[in-house]
Amino acid sequence: MALLTVKGLTKFFGGLRAVHDLSFEVQPGEILGLIGPNGAGKTTAFNLIAGFIHPTRGQVLLDGENIVGMKPYAVTRKGIARTFQIVKPFRKLSVLENVTLAAFLRFPARRNAESEAQRVLERVGLGSKKLALAADLTLSEQKRLEIARALATRPKLLLLDEPMGGLNATEMGQASTLVVDICKGGVTIIWVEHVLKAIMNSSHRVVVINQGEKIADAAPEQVVENPSVIAAYLGTKAK
Amino acid sequence: MKKVVIPLAIILLFTAPWIVSGPFFVHLMIMVLMWTVLGASWNILGGFTGQVSFGHSTFLGAGAYTTMILYLKLGVAPWYGIPIGGLVAALIALPIGFICFRLRGPYFALSTLAVAEIIRLVALNWESLTNGPVGLLITTLPEVTFWGRSIDWESKTPFYYIIAVIALGAIVATYIMSRTRLGAYSLAIREDIDSAEAIGINTVQARVAALSLSAFFAGVAGGFYAMYLRYIDPDAVFSIALSVEMVFIAVVGGLTTVAGPLIGAIVLVTFGETFRELFLVGHLIFYGLMMMIVIRYLPEGIWGKLRLWFGTRS
Repeated sequence: MALLTVKGLTKFFGGLRAVHDLSFEVQPGEILGLIGPNGAGKTTAFNLIAGFIHPTRGQVLLDGENIVGMKPYAVTRKGIARTFQIVKPFRKLSVLENVTLAAFLRFPARRNAESEAQRVLERVGLGSKKLALAADLTLSEQKRLEIARALATRPKLLLLDEPMGGLNATEMGQASTLVVDICKGGVTIIWVEHVLKAIMNSSHRVVVINQGEKIADAAPEQVVENPSVIAAYLGTKAK
Repeated sequence: MKKVVIPLAIILLFTAPWIVSGPFFVHLMIMVLMWTVLGASWNILGGFTGQVSFGHSTFLGAGAYTTMILYLKLGVAPWYGIPIGGLVAALIALPIGFICFRLRGPYFALSTLAVAEIIRLVALNWESLTNGPVGLLITTLPEVTFWGRSIDWESKTPFYYIIAVIALGAIVATYIMSRTRLGAYSLAIREDIDSAEAIGINTVQARVAALSLSAFFAGVAGGFYAMYLRYIDPDAVFSIALSVEMVFIAVVGGLTTVAGPLIGAIVLVTFGETFRELFLVGHLIFYGLMMMIVIRYLPEGIWGKLRLWFGTRS
């Protein structure tokens, strides 16, 4: 059975149709890339799944259970963790404290939460920065902190909102390795990205959306050859 | 250093009425401690969760009226009435919290102002319960013997000890909160409410819990206020000026710190009273000027700044 099933998801903001009749499935252990040009509705779809906004119509099923209408914290407790495209660390708290707060969800005792946080920080490569204030990290480190905080809630499904945005080539490579590594550790991933190239090598399958609708759902190498995807990104040739 | 300073401060707290003389100074110390409780109350919500309330007089007034009404109508002695007043304030905070915390940031702050105004108008008009604008008056307090001696309610000293215990309670509660998960969740909410939700924190519940705890102490201070001054009316205990004063004390002392409200109360109450003595006319101008200087040069508050200097960031 699919871990996550999105069925006929539709969201109107007033008269604007941000997402229209979007359906797809995510299998356990998969890295699903969700891509599309600017304004395609990626972040809206993402927020709909994470419970930050509620859909006009449609269903989101996690392990067969409809989670539409749940508050974000309840969605997280069900096992879906997210990161933010524009990083939102707890700026005046230390890196360790940031992740410990997330670990409290599964480890109510502070000592256990802290050791879980410590473990997660080592895993994402922020172990040496644990005492720094979150505000003092570089962007690339803050993006890692976002991932660490999400992981500390022990999710089944991790939603990454443009983890590559603003990173240089080296950092992108490292981030990509990290995501693949997390997936190997048993976490299913939906990875939203604006740049197709960034997720070509890492994702198992790619869903492309344009103007709120799904236009492709296939392996990465097939998606790049798909004429409607090319048209969505580059436009069609003038006749 | 903490091991020396804290016991010394507690000893000083309970011996102070023997050291200073004269009812004025005892009164001043009572006011300092009462405002410490109110500042601590505001700090629990405003400092820790970052939710700015301009309506905390609601809880002070609820506590004051509860204590007064219980005593006047049912004969419940104020030492039971004061904690019950705190509980009533904490209960009132629940519906207010669940409604107002649907709003964020400045909208929440405005809603607290509106709620305080609604409650003040209710108190003004519900004459059968509150006696309306005429207010409530206690003429005598019940007789109490303590260690075989009858307590003299005409002296200020017994009131000093009562408020000293309450203030100590508020400071200890703040300390405990800063160590618990509620305190940690509050900081997360203060820093970024979306991120707090994303890591599984029920931010409405956590904010309501902080508000309720905060309201408890404002209510207890309100009950004390009623018993000490023996007279309350809606404009006195539900006034916006009181709410704003609580904000000042918490901010000047240092937000999110344990000792901040005490420092804020010492500085603001003493300066306030001194200015009143020195400049009969226009003393508020100097008070305002001092506020501006503190906010401009010590945005982290007096205690917050001292902690930075001594390098003990929590």
